[in-house]
Amino acid sequence: MGGAKDRLLPASVPFRFFVSATVFQVLFWAMLFYAADEVPGFADGLGPVLAAVHLTTLGVLAMTAMGATYQLLPVATRQPLARVWPTRLSYWLFMPGTLLLTWGMAAYSLHTLYTGAAMTVLGLSVFGILTADNLRRASSSLPVVALHGWVAMASLLGLMALAVLLIADFAHGFIDDPDRLALGHVILAVFGFMGMLVFGFSHVLIPMFALSRSMPANLAWSELALTTLALLVTVLGALSGYFWLLMAGAVLGLVAVASYLWLMRHALKTRMRKRLGLAFVLVRISWAMLALSVVVGLVVLSSDFIPNGIALFGFLALAGWMLTFLGAILQRIMPFLATMHGSGKGGKPLLLSDLTLERPLQIHAILHPLAVVLCSVGIVADLPQLIMLGAVAGLVGALSFVVFVGYIVFRVKQKL
Amino acid sequence: MEFSRRISQLLHEDHAETISLIEMLEDMIAKARKNAPDINDAAVRKTLEKSAAMIEHELNHHFSFEEDELFTRLEEAGDASIGEHLREEHAAILPLGENVATLAAQALNQGFSQESWTEFRNLAGELIERMLSHIQKEEMSLLPMLEDLLEPEMDMELAEAFEQSQQ
Repeated sequence: MGGAKDRLLPASVPFRFFVSATVFQVLFWAMLFYAADEVPGFADGLGPVLAAVHLTTLGVLAMTAMGATYQLLPVATRQPLARVWPTRLSYWLFMPGTLLLTWGMAAYSLHTLYTGAAMTVLGLSVFGILTADNLRRASSSLPVVALHGWVAMASLLGLMALAVLLIADFAHGFIDDPDRLALGHVILAVFGFMGMLVFGFSHVLIPMFALSRSMPANLAWSELALTTLALLVTVLGALSGYFWLLMAGAVLGLVAVASYLWLMRHALKTRMRKRLGLAFVLVRISWAMLALSVVVGLVVLSSDFIPNGIALFGFLALAGWMLTFLGAILQRIMPFLATMHGSGKGGKPLLLSDLTLERPLQIHAILHPLAVVLCSVGIVADLPQLIMLGAVAGLVGALSFVVFVGYIVFRVKQKL
Repeated sequence: MEFSRRISQLLHEDHAETISLIEMLEDMIAKARKNAPDINDAAVRKTLEKSAAMIEHELNHHFSFEEDELFTRLEEAGDASIGEHLREEHAAILPLGENVATLAAQALNQGFSQESWTEFRNLAGELIERMLSHIQKEEMSLLPMLEDLLEPEMDMELAEAFEQSQQ
Protein backbone atom coordinates (compact mmCIF):
# COMPACT_ATOMS: atom_id res chain seq x y z
CA MET A 1 0.00 0.00 0.00
CA GLY A 2 2.94 2.26 0.44
CA GLY A 3 3.08 3.10 -3.23
CA ALA A 4 6.62 2.03 -2.58
CA LYS A 5 8.07 0.38 0.47
CA ASP A 6 9.95 3.65 0.97
CA ARG A 7 6.60 4.99 2.02
CA LEU A 8 5.79 1.95 4.14
CA LEU A 9 7.26 2.70 7.56
CA PRO A 10 8.66 -0.05 9.77
CA ALA A 11 5.70 -1.79 11.42
CA SER A 12 6.90 -0.63 14.84
CA VAL A 13 6.24 3.04 13.98
CA PRO A 14 2.48 3.14 13.34
CA PHE A 15 1.82 0.12 15.57
CA ARG A 16 3.33 1.70 18.70
CA PHE A 17 0.84 4.56 18.34
CA PHE A 18 -2.08 2.22 17.63
CA VAL A 19 -1.28 -0.11 20.54
CA SER A 20 -0.93 2.86 22.91
CA ALA A 21 -4.23 4.30 21.69
CA THR A 22 -6.05 1.06 22.49
CA VAL A 23 -4.54 1.02 25.99
CA PHE A 24 -5.49 4.68 26.54
CA GLN A 25 -9.03 3.79 25.53
CA VAL A 26 -9.14 1.34 28.46
CA LEU A 27 -7.81 4.07 30.77
CA PHE A 28 -10.47 6.48 29.46
CA TRP A 29 -13.38 4.20 30.36
CA ALA A 30 -11.80 3.36 33.71
CA MET A 31 -11.42 7.07 34.51
CA LEU A 32 -15.01 7.73 33.39
CA PHE A 33 -16.17 5.02 35.80
CA TYR A 34 -14.15 6.60 38.61
CA ALA A 35 -15.42 10.11 37.83
CA ALA A 36 -19.04 9.14 37.07
CA ASP A 37 -20.47 11.38 39.83
CA GLU A 38 -18.91 14.48 38.30
CA VAL A 39 -19.59 13.75 34.63
CA PRO A 40 -23.18 15.06 34.17
CA GLY A 41 -22.48 18.56 35.45
CA PHE A 42 -19.01 18.85 34.00
CA ALA A 43 -18.18 21.99 32.03
CA ASP A 44 -14.55 22.77 32.87
CA GLY A 45 -11.87 22.71 35.60
CA LEU A 46 -9.17 20.31 36.77
CA GLY A 47 -10.11 16.88 38.09
CA PRO A 48 -10.76 13.32 36.93
CA VAL A 49 -13.35 14.29 34.28
CA LEU A 50 -10.87 16.62 32.56
CA ALA A 51 -8.32 13.81 32.82
CA ALA A 52 -10.81 11.41 31.19
CA VAL A 53 -11.43 13.92 28.41
CA HIS A 54 -7.69 14.19 27.71
CA LEU A 55 -7.15 10.44 27.98
CA THR A 56 -9.47 10.18 25.00
CA THR A 57 -8.51 13.32 23.01
CA LEU A 58 -4.76 12.94 23.43
CA GLY A 59 -4.35 9.30 24.42
CA VAL A 60 -6.71 7.75 21.91
CA LEU A 61 -7.59 10.27 19.22
CA ALA A 62 -4.34 12.20 18.75
CA MET A 63 -2.30 9.03 19.29
CA THR A 64 -4.22 7.23 16.53
CA ALA A 65 -4.05 10.31 14.32
CA MET A 66 -0.27 10.46 14.67
CA GLY A 67 0.25 6.79 13.81
CA ALA A 68 -2.23 6.92 10.95
CA THR A 69 -0.86 10.18 9.55
CA TYR A 70 2.74 8.96 9.63
CA GLN A 71 1.72 5.87 7.64
CA LEU A 72 -1.12 7.13 5.45
CA LEU A 73 -0.09 10.66 4.57
CA PRO A 74 2.97 9.57 2.56
CA VAL A 75 0.64 7.28 0.61
CA ALA A 76 -1.82 10.10 -0.06
CA THR A 77 0.85 12.68 -0.89
CA ARG A 78 3.12 10.14 -2.64
CA GLN A 79 6.08 11.56 -0.75
CA PRO A 80 8.01 9.61 1.88
CA LEU A 81 8.56 11.14 5.31
CA ALA A 82 11.80 13.16 5.46
CA ARG A 83 13.15 11.05 8.35
CA VAL A 84 11.78 8.13 10.38
CA TRP A 85 13.56 8.76 13.71
CA PRO A 86 11.53 11.90 14.56
CA THR A 87 8.38 9.75 14.49
CA ARG A 88 9.86 7.72 17.34
CA LEU A 89 10.96 10.88 19.13
CA SER A 90 7.44 12.29 18.89
CA TYR A 91 6.07 9.08 20.41
CA TRP A 92 8.50 9.05 23.32
CA LEU A 93 7.64 12.66 24.11
CA PHE A 94 3.92 12.38 23.52
CA MET A 95 2.98 9.05 25.14
CA PRO A 96 4.58 9.62 28.58
CA GLY A 97 3.65 13.30 28.31
CA THR A 98 -0.02 12.37 27.98
CA LEU A 99 0.22 10.02 30.97
CA LEU A 100 1.79 12.75 33.11
CA LEU A 101 -0.62 15.43 31.89
CA THR A 102 -3.72 13.37 32.63
CA TRP A 103 -2.30 12.19 35.96
CA GLY A 104 -1.63 15.83 36.87
CA MET A 105 -5.20 16.76 35.93
CA ALA A 106 -6.76 13.89 37.87
CA ALA A 107 -4.58 14.43 40.96
CA TYR A 108 -4.69 18.26 40.85
CA SER A 109 -0.88 18.22 40.67
CA LEU A 110 0.24 21.30 38.76
CA HIS A 111 3.92 20.31 38.55
CA THR A 112 3.06 16.95 36.99
CA LEU A 113 0.59 18.73 34.72
CA TYR A 114 3.24 21.22 33.54
CA THR A 115 5.83 18.50 32.85
CA GLY A 116 3.26 16.42 30.98
CA ALA A 117 2.00 19.42 29.04
CA ALA A 118 5.53 20.41 27.97
CA MET A 119 6.29 16.89 26.75
CA THR A 120 2.94 16.59 25.00
CA VAL A 121 3.33 19.93 23.22
CA LEU A 122 6.87 19.00 22.15
CA GLY A 123 5.71 15.61 20.85
CA LEU A 124 2.86 17.19 18.93
CA SER A 125 5.23 19.84 17.58
CA VAL A 126 7.58 17.20 16.16
CA PHE A 127 4.53 15.54 14.61
CA GLY A 128 3.32 18.86 13.22
CA ILE A 129 6.70 19.68 11.66
CA LEU A 130 7.05 16.25 10.03
CA THR A 131 3.49 16.38 8.73
CA ALA A 132 3.78 19.94 7.43
CA ASP A 133 7.02 19.05 5.66
CA ASN A 134 5.33 16.09 3.98
CA LEU A 135 2.31 18.19 2.99
CA ARG A 136 4.65 20.85 1.56
CA ARG A 137 6.20 18.26 -0.76
CA ALA A 138 2.82 16.71 -1.71
CA SER A 139 2.19 15.89 -5.35
CA SER A 140 -0.83 17.54 -6.88
CA SER A 141 -2.85 14.33 -7.12
CA LEU A 142 -4.88 14.57 -3.91
CA PRO A 143 -5.07 18.28 -3.14
CA VAL A 144 -8.29 18.04 -1.13
CA VAL A 145 -6.73 15.55 1.28
CA ALA A 146 -3.58 17.67 1.58
CA LEU A 147 -5.61 20.82 2.30
CA HIS A 148 -7.58 19.04 5.02
CA GLY A 149 -4.16 18.20 6.44
CA TRP A 150 -3.08 21.85 6.35
CA VAL A 151 -6.24 22.99 8.17
CA ALA A 152 -5.66 20.24 10.76
CA MET A 153 -2.07 21.42 11.28
CA ALA A 154 -3.18 25.06 11.66
CA SER A 155 -5.77 23.87 14.20
CA LEU A 156 -3.09 21.90 16.03
CA LEU A 157 -0.98 25.03 16.32
CA GLY A 158 -3.96 27.02 17.61
CA LEU A 159 -5.11 24.39 20.09
CA MET A 160 -1.59 24.00 21.51
CA ALA A 161 -1.25 27.77 21.98
CA LEU A 162 -4.60 27.91 23.78
CA ALA A 163 -3.68 24.85 25.86
CA VAL A 164 -0.48 26.52 27.05
CA LEU A 165 -2.42 29.66 28.02
CA LEU A 166 -5.09 27.67 29.85
CA ILE A 167 -2.55 25.60 31.76
CA ALA A 168 -0.63 28.73 32.78
CA ASP A 169 -3.93 30.21 33.92
CA PHE A 170 -4.52 27.28 36.31
CA ALA A 171 -1.65 28.61 38.43
CA HIS A 172 -1.69 32.35 37.80
CA GLY A 173 -5.32 33.14 36.93
CA PHE A 174 -4.44 35.98 34.56
CA ILE A 175 -7.13 35.35 31.92
CA ASP A 176 -10.40 37.26 32.43
CA ASP A 177 -12.64 34.73 30.74
CA PRO A 178 -10.89 31.34 30.48
CA ASP A 179 -14.17 29.68 29.41
CA ARG A 180 -13.94 31.36 26.01
CA LEU A 181 -10.40 30.06 25.49
CA ALA A 182 -11.42 26.62 26.71
CA LEU A 183 -14.29 26.50 24.21
CA GLY A 184 -11.96 27.61 21.40
CA HIS A 185 -9.47 24.93 22.48
CA VAL A 186 -12.17 22.22 22.45
CA ILE A 187 -13.47 23.22 19.01
CA LEU A 188 -9.98 23.37 17.52
CA ALA A 189 -9.05 20.02 19.06
CA VAL A 190 -12.15 18.00 18.21
CA PHE A 191 -13.44 19.57 14.99
CA GLY A 192 -10.25 21.29 13.80
CA PHE A 193 -7.32 18.97 14.40
CA MET A 194 -9.02 15.57 14.70
CA GLY A 195 -12.09 16.42 12.64
CA MET A 196 -10.14 17.66 9.64
CA LEU A 197 -7.83 14.63 9.71
CA VAL A 198 -10.84 12.30 9.90
CA PHE A 199 -12.64 14.14 7.08
CA GLY A 200 -9.49 14.26 4.93
CA PHE A 201 -8.49 10.63 5.37
CA SER A 202 -12.11 9.61 4.79
CA HIS A 203 -11.60 10.72 1.17
CA VAL A 204 -8.97 7.99 0.86
CA LEU A 205 -9.90 5.27 3.33
CA ILE A 206 -13.64 4.93 2.77
CA PRO A 207 -13.30 4.54 -1.04
CA MET A 208 -10.36 2.17 -0.50
CA PHE A 209 -12.19 -0.18 1.85
CA ALA A 210 -15.49 0.04 -0.02
CA LEU A 211 -13.71 -0.02 -3.40
CA SER A 212 -15.76 2.87 -4.66
CA ARG A 213 -15.37 5.70 -7.09
CA SER A 214 -13.37 8.72 -6.06
CA MET A 215 -15.36 11.58 -4.57
CA PRO A 216 -16.88 14.05 -7.05
CA ALA A 217 -14.38 16.92 -7.09
CA ASN A 218 -16.90 19.76 -6.75
CA LEU A 219 -18.57 18.14 -3.74
CA ALA A 220 -15.21 17.39 -2.14
CA TRP A 221 -14.08 21.01 -2.52
CA SER A 222 -17.44 22.24 -1.18
CA GLU A 223 -17.07 20.02 1.87
CA LEU A 224 -13.56 21.35 2.50
CA ALA A 225 -14.65 24.98 2.07
CA LEU A 226 -17.70 24.59 4.30
CA THR A 227 -15.82 22.72 7.01
CA THR A 228 -12.99 25.25 7.06
CA LEU A 229 -15.40 28.19 7.12
CA ALA A 230 -17.51 26.59 9.89
CA LEU A 231 -14.39 25.94 11.93
CA LEU A 232 -13.09 29.48 11.50
CA VAL A 233 -16.40 31.14 12.35
CA THR A 234 -17.05 28.88 15.35
CA VAL A 235 -13.58 29.42 16.80
CA LEU A 236 -13.83 33.18 16.28
CA GLY A 237 -17.28 33.11 17.90
CA ALA A 238 -15.94 31.16 20.88
CA LEU A 239 -12.88 33.36 21.40
CA SER A 240 -14.65 36.69 20.86
CA GLY A 241 -17.65 35.78 22.97
CA TYR A 242 -20.06 36.94 20.24
CA PHE A 243 -22.95 34.55 20.62
CA TRP A 244 -24.36 35.16 17.14
CA LEU A 245 -20.99 34.29 15.59
CA LEU A 246 -20.83 31.06 17.57
CA MET A 247 -24.36 30.18 16.46
CA ALA A 248 -23.54 31.00 12.85
CA GLY A 249 -20.48 28.73 13.10
CA ALA A 250 -22.55 25.91 14.56
CA VAL A 251 -25.17 26.21 11.79
CA LEU A 252 -22.39 26.23 9.20
CA GLY A 253 -20.93 23.22 10.99
CA LEU A 254 -24.18 21.35 10.55
CA VAL A 255 -24.15 22.15 6.82
CA ALA A 256 -20.49 21.06 6.61
CA VAL A 257 -21.30 17.78 8.33
CA ALA A 258 -24.20 17.25 5.90
CA SER A 259 -21.85 17.81 2.95
CA TYR A 260 -19.32 15.34 4.41
CA LEU A 261 -22.03 12.74 4.98
CA TRP A 262 -23.32 13.32 1.44
CA LEU A 263 -19.84 12.58 0.11
CA MET A 264 -19.59 9.42 2.19
CA ARG A 265 -23.03 8.35 0.96
CA HIS A 266 -21.78 8.82 -2.59
CA ALA A 267 -18.74 6.65 -1.83
CA LEU A 268 -20.92 3.87 -0.44
CA LYS A 269 -23.49 4.11 -3.23
CA THR A 270 -20.83 3.74 -5.92
CA ARG A 271 -18.89 0.98 -4.19
CA MET A 272 -17.83 -2.20 -5.97
CA ARG A 273 -17.66 -4.18 -2.72
CA LYS A 274 -21.12 -4.92 -1.41
CA ARG A 275 -20.23 -6.67 1.85
CA LEU A 276 -18.53 -4.14 4.06
CA GLY A 277 -18.50 -6.09 7.31
CA LEU A 278 -18.66 -5.16 10.96
CA ALA A 279 -16.33 -2.17 10.73
CA PHE A 280 -18.74 -0.31 8.50
CA VAL A 281 -21.60 -0.87 10.95
CA LEU A 282 -19.47 1.12 13.40
CA VAL A 283 -18.59 3.67 10.72
CA ARG A 284 -22.29 4.30 10.09
CA ILE A 285 -22.97 4.60 13.83
CA SER A 286 -20.11 7.09 14.13
CA TRP A 287 -21.54 9.21 11.30
CA ALA A 288 -24.92 9.26 13.04
CA MET A 289 -23.18 10.31 16.27
CA LEU A 290 -21.32 13.07 14.42
CA ALA A 291 -24.57 14.54 13.13
CA LEU A 292 -26.24 14.08 16.51
CA SER A 293 -23.40 15.79 18.38
CA VAL A 294 -23.57 18.87 16.16
CA VAL A 295 -27.38 19.04 16.53
CA VAL A 296 -27.01 18.70 20.31
CA GLY A 297 -24.36 21.45 20.22
CA LEU A 298 -26.78 23.75 18.41
CA VAL A 299 -29.63 22.99 20.83
CA VAL A 300 -27.33 23.56 23.83
CA LEU A 301 -26.23 26.91 22.42
CA SER A 302 -29.75 28.11 21.79
CA SER A 303 -31.72 26.73 24.78
CA ASP A 304 -31.65 24.91 28.11
CA PHE A 305 -33.76 22.16 26.61
CA ILE A 306 -31.22 19.36 27.19
CA PRO A 307 -30.20 18.80 30.82
CA ASN A 308 -26.39 18.62 31.17
CA GLY A 309 -26.20 19.49 27.49
CA ILE A 310 -22.52 20.55 27.50
CA ALA A 311 -21.39 17.22 28.93
CA LEU A 312 -23.67 15.36 26.51
CA PHE A 313 -22.32 17.29 23.51
CA GLY A 314 -18.70 16.54 24.47
CA PHE A 315 -19.42 12.89 25.17
CA LEU A 316 -21.28 12.33 21.90
CA ALA A 317 -18.52 14.03 19.89
CA LEU A 318 -15.67 12.18 21.60
CA ALA A 319 -17.00 8.74 22.47
CA GLY A 320 -19.91 8.61 20.02
CA TRP A 321 -18.30 9.94 16.89
CA MET A 322 -14.53 9.83 17.23
CA LEU A 323 -13.93 6.69 19.30
CA THR A 324 -16.44 4.72 17.24
CA PHE A 325 -14.98 5.89 13.93
CA LEU A 326 -11.38 5.27 14.94
CA GLY A 327 -12.24 1.85 16.36
CA ALA A 328 -13.80 0.95 13.02
CA ILE A 329 -10.89 2.23 10.97
CA LEU A 330 -8.24 0.67 13.22
CA GLN A 331 -9.85 -2.76 12.92
CA ARG A 332 -9.53 -2.50 9.14
CA ILE A 333 -6.22 -0.69 8.80
CA MET A 334 -4.15 -2.65 11.34
CA PRO A 335 -4.49 -6.13 9.78
CA PHE A 336 -4.17 -4.53 6.33
CA LEU A 337 -0.88 -2.87 7.27
CA ALA A 338 0.30 -6.01 9.03
CA THR A 339 -0.07 -8.05 5.83
CA MET A 340 2.54 -5.76 4.31
CA HIS A 341 5.08 -6.85 6.93
CA GLY A 342 6.29 -10.44 6.94
CA SER A 343 5.05 -13.59 5.24
CA GLY A 344 2.78 -16.47 6.16
CA LYS A 345 2.92 -20.18 5.35
CA GLY A 346 5.33 -21.11 2.56
CA GLY A 347 6.53 -17.52 2.17
CA LYS A 348 3.09 -16.36 0.98
CA PRO A 349 1.90 -12.89 2.01
CA LEU A 350 -0.09 -13.03 5.26
CA LEU A 351 -3.86 -13.39 5.09
CA LEU A 352 -6.08 -10.85 6.85
CA SER A 353 -7.95 -13.71 8.53
CA ASP A 354 -4.65 -15.02 9.94
CA LEU A 355 -4.37 -11.75 11.83
CA THR A 356 -7.95 -11.00 12.77
CA LEU A 357 -9.73 -12.37 15.85
CA GLU A 358 -13.41 -11.90 15.09
CA ARG A 359 -14.85 -12.54 18.56
CA PRO A 360 -13.17 -9.59 20.35
CA LEU A 361 -14.30 -7.32 17.52
CA GLN A 362 -17.87 -8.55 17.86
CA ILE A 363 -17.79 -7.94 21.62
CA HIS A 364 -16.39 -4.44 21.05
CA ALA A 365 -18.99 -3.71 18.35
CA ILE A 366 -21.82 -4.51 20.76
CA LEU A 367 -20.42 -3.02 23.95
CA HIS A 368 -19.01 0.24 22.61
CA PRO A 369 -22.30 1.56 21.16
CA LEU A 370 -24.10 0.25 24.26
CA ALA A 371 -21.67 2.22 26.44
CA VAL A 372 -22.32 5.37 24.40
CA VAL A 373 -26.07 5.00 24.82
CA LEU A 374 -25.94 4.19 28.56
CA CYS A 375 -23.56 7.03 29.37
CA SER A 376 -25.53 9.52 27.25
CA VAL A 377 -28.78 8.64 29.02
CA GLY A 378 -26.91 8.74 32.35
CA ILE A 379 -25.63 12.24 31.58
CA VAL A 380 -29.05 13.60 30.59
CA ALA A 381 -30.89 11.88 33.47
CA ASP A 382 -28.12 12.79 35.91
CA LEU A 383 -27.71 9.16 36.93
CA PRO A 384 -24.06 8.39 37.81
CA GLN A 385 -24.93 4.71 38.29
CA LEU A 386 -25.97 4.49 34.65
CA ILE A 387 -22.75 6.22 33.60
CA MET A 388 -20.82 3.69 35.67
CA LEU A 389 -22.69 0.85 33.97
CA GLY A 390 -21.93 2.39 30.57
CA ALA A 391 -18.29 2.84 31.53
CA VAL A 392 -18.06 -0.85 32.46
CA ALA A 393 -19.52 -1.79 29.06
CA GLY A 394 -17.04 0.56 27.38
CA LEU A 395 -14.19 -0.84 29.45
CA VAL A 396 -14.95 -4.45 28.53
CA GLY A 397 -15.34 -3.41 24.88
CA ALA A 398 -12.01 -1.59 25.00
CA LEU A 399 -10.31 -4.60 26.62
CA SER A 400 -11.69 -6.79 23.83
CA PHE A 401 -10.14 -4.38 21.37
CA VAL A 402 -6.80 -4.70 23.20
CA VAL A 403 -7.02 -8.48 22.69
CA PHE A 404 -7.66 -7.95 18.95
CA VAL A 405 -4.71 -5.55 18.63
CA GLY A 406 -2.44 -7.68 20.83
CA TYR A 407 -3.07 -10.70 18.62
CA ILE A 408 -2.08 -8.78 15.48
CA VAL A 409 1.13 -7.56 17.11
CA PHE A 410 1.90 -11.09 18.32
CA ARG A 411 1.38 -12.55 14.83
CA VAL A 412 3.41 -9.87 13.10
CA LYS A 413 6.28 -10.31 15.57
CA GLN A 414 6.14 -14.06 14.94
CA LYS A 415 6.49 -13.51 11.20
CA LEU A 416 9.15 -10.79 11.16
CA MET B 1 -12.40 5.46 -9.06
CA GLU B 2 -12.27 7.61 -12.14
CA PHE B 3 -8.90 7.96 -13.78
CA SER B 4 -7.52 10.29 -16.37
CA ARG B 5 -5.23 7.60 -17.82
CA ARG B 6 -6.89 5.01 -20.03
CA ILE B 7 -4.79 2.12 -18.73
CA SER B 8 -5.69 2.92 -15.11
CA GLN B 9 -9.36 2.99 -16.09
CA LEU B 10 -9.11 -0.36 -17.92
CA LEU B 11 -7.38 -2.03 -14.97
CA HIS B 12 -9.99 -0.56 -12.66
CA GLU B 13 -12.81 -1.98 -14.80
CA ASP B 14 -11.08 -5.34 -14.73
CA HIS B 15 -10.95 -5.13 -10.95
CA ALA B 16 -14.67 -4.35 -10.87
CA GLU B 17 -15.40 -7.52 -12.87
CA THR B 18 -13.21 -9.58 -10.57
CA ILE B 19 -14.98 -8.18 -7.50
CA SER B 20 -18.33 -9.02 -9.03
CA LEU B 21 -17.15 -12.63 -9.42
CA ILE B 22 -15.79 -12.64 -5.88
CA GLU B 23 -19.17 -11.53 -4.56
CA MET B 24 -20.89 -14.30 -6.53
CA LEU B 25 -18.47 -16.86 -5.09
CA GLU B 26 -19.01 -15.50 -1.59
CA ASP B 27 -22.78 -15.73 -2.06
CA MET B 28 -22.56 -19.31 -3.25
CA ILE B 29 -20.31 -20.36 -0.36
CA ALA B 30 -22.41 -18.50 2.22
CA LYS B 31 -25.63 -20.11 0.99
CA ALA B 32 -24.27 -23.64 0.70
CA ARG B 33 -22.10 -23.59 3.84
CA LYS B 34 -20.79 -27.10 4.51
CA ASN B 35 -23.16 -28.91 2.14
CA ALA B 36 -22.20 -29.08 -1.51
CA PRO B 37 -24.47 -26.87 -3.64
CA ASP B 38 -26.69 -28.22 -6.38
CA ILE B 39 -24.91 -27.55 -9.66
CA ASN B 40 -28.23 -27.57 -11.51
CA ASP B 41 -29.17 -24.39 -9.67
CA ALA B 42 -28.89 -21.58 -12.24
CA ALA B 43 -27.00 -19.19 -9.93
CA VAL B 44 -24.52 -21.89 -8.89
CA ARG B 45 -23.91 -22.88 -12.52
CA LYS B 46 -23.36 -19.28 -13.57
CA THR B 47 -20.87 -18.71 -10.75
CA LEU B 48 -18.95 -21.87 -11.57
CA GLU B 49 -18.90 -21.08 -15.29
CA LYS B 50 -17.62 -17.58 -14.64
CA SER B 51 -15.06 -18.90 -12.18
CA ALA B 52 -13.78 -21.52 -14.60
CA ALA B 53 -13.53 -19.10 -17.49
CA MET B 54 -12.57 -15.84 -15.92
CA ILE B 55 -10.11 -16.73 -13.20
CA GLU B 56 -7.75 -18.76 -15.31
CA HIS B 57 -7.85 -16.69 -18.45
CA GLU B 58 -8.29 -13.14 -17.25
CA LEU B 59 -6.35 -13.32 -14.02
CA ASN B 60 -3.39 -14.73 -15.87
CA HIS B 61 -3.50 -12.00 -18.51
CA HIS B 62 -4.10 -9.23 -16.03
CA PHE B 63 -1.19 -10.31 -13.83
CA SER B 64 1.19 -10.94 -16.75
CA PHE B 65 0.40 -7.55 -18.20
CA GLU B 66 1.05 -5.80 -14.90
CA GLU B 67 4.31 -7.65 -14.33
CA ASP B 68 5.67 -7.27 -17.86
CA GLU B 69 4.45 -3.81 -18.76
CA LEU B 70 3.78 -1.85 -15.59
CA PHE B 71 6.04 -3.01 -12.79
CA THR B 72 9.04 -2.84 -15.12
CA ARG B 73 8.21 0.80 -15.88
CA LEU B 74 7.82 1.56 -12.19
CA GLU B 75 11.23 -0.04 -11.60
CA GLU B 76 12.76 2.11 -14.33
CA ALA B 77 11.23 5.14 -12.61
CA GLY B 78 12.97 4.09 -9.38
CA ASP B 79 9.86 2.73 -7.66
CA ALA B 80 10.66 -0.98 -7.49
CA SER B 81 9.21 -2.01 -4.15
CA ILE B 82 5.53 -1.82 -4.98
CA GLY B 83 6.05 -4.10 -7.98
CA GLU B 84 8.03 -6.48 -5.82
CA HIS B 85 5.25 -6.70 -3.24
CA LEU B 86 2.47 -7.07 -5.80
CA ARG B 87 4.48 -9.76 -7.63
CA GLU B 88 4.68 -11.73 -4.38
CA GLU B 89 0.91 -11.48 -4.10
CA HIS B 90 0.45 -12.55 -7.73
CA ALA B 91 2.60 -15.60 -7.03
CA ALA B 92 0.31 -16.52 -4.13
CA ILE B 93 -2.96 -15.79 -5.95
CA LEU B 94 -2.34 -17.35 -9.35
CA PRO B 95 -1.99 -21.02 -8.29
CA LEU B 96 -5.03 -20.58 -6.04
CA GLY B 97 -7.01 -19.13 -8.94
CA GLU B 98 -5.97 -21.97 -11.24
CA ASN B 99 -7.00 -24.57 -8.66
CA VAL B 100 -10.37 -22.91 -8.12
CA ALA B 101 -10.92 -22.71 -11.89
CA THR B 102 -10.04 -26.40 -12.33
CA LEU B 103 -12.34 -27.48 -9.48
CA ALA B 104 -15.14 -25.28 -10.85
CA ALA B 105 -14.77 -26.85 -14.32
CA GLN B 106 -14.77 -30.37 -12.82
CA ALA B 107 -17.84 -29.54 -10.75
CA LEU B 108 -19.69 -28.35 -13.84
CA ASN B 109 -19.16 -31.79 -15.39
CA GLN B 110 -19.45 -34.09 -12.39
CA GLY B 111 -21.00 -32.06 -9.58
CA PHE B 112 -19.40 -31.64 -6.18
CA SER B 113 -18.65 -34.51 -3.85
CA GLN B 114 -18.50 -33.56 -0.18
CA GLU B 115 -14.72 -33.75 -0.38
CA SER B 116 -14.34 -31.66 -3.53
CA TRP B 117 -16.77 -29.08 -2.15
CA THR B 118 -14.74 -28.73 1.06
CA GLU B 119 -11.59 -28.29 -1.01
CA PHE B 120 -13.29 -25.79 -3.32
CA ARG B 121 -14.71 -23.85 -0.38
CA ASN B 122 -11.33 -23.57 1.36
CA LEU B 123 -9.44 -22.58 -1.78
CA ALA B 124 -12.08 -20.13 -2.95
CA GLY B 125 -12.21 -18.60 0.55
CA GLU B 126 -8.49 -17.95 0.49
CA LEU B 127 -8.65 -16.66 -3.08
CA ILE B 128 -11.43 -14.22 -2.17
CA GLU B 129 -9.46 -12.85 0.76
CA ARG B 130 -6.21 -12.48 -1.14
CA MET B 131 -7.86 -10.95 -4.20
CA LEU B 132 -9.79 -8.34 -2.23
CA SER B 133 -6.75 -7.19 -0.32
CA HIS B 134 -4.68 -7.21 -3.52
CA ILE B 135 -7.21 -5.14 -5.45
CA GLN B 136 -7.42 -2.64 -2.59
CA LYS B 137 -3.65 -2.19 -2.72
CA GLU B 138 -3.64 -1.76 -6.49
CA GLU B 139 -6.52 0.71 -6.41
CA MET B 140 -4.92 2.65 -3.58
CA SER B 141 -1.33 2.75 -4.80
CA LEU B 142 -0.61 1.28 -8.22
CA LEU B 143 -3.30 3.00 -10.27
CA PRO B 144 -2.75 6.48 -8.81
CA MET B 145 0.99 6.03 -9.37
CA LEU B 146 0.37 5.27 -13.04
CA GLU B 147 -1.65 8.49 -13.23
CA ASP B 148 1.44 10.39 -12.13
CA LEU B 149 3.99 8.40 -14.07
CA LEU B 150 2.58 7.87 -17.56
CA GLU B 151 2.68 10.34 -20.42
CA PRO B 152 -0.39 10.31 -22.72
CA GLU B 153 1.41 8.51 -25.58
CA MET B 154 2.71 5.78 -23.33
CA ASP B 155 -0.73 5.51 -21.78
CA MET B 156 -2.32 4.89 -25.19
CA GLU B 157 0.29 2.26 -26.09
CA LEU B 158 -0.27 0.42 -22.82
CA ALA B 159 -4.05 0.62 -23.14
CA GLU B 160 -3.90 -0.89 -26.63
CA ALA B 161 -1.54 -3.62 -25.45
CA PHE B 162 -3.84 -4.43 -22.54
CA GLU B 163 -6.93 -4.61 -24.72
CA GLN B 164 -5.13 -6.91 -27.16
CA SER B 165 -3.99 -9.17 -24.33
CA GLN B 166 -7.61 -9.54 -23.24
CA GLN B 167 -8.79 -10.75 -26.66
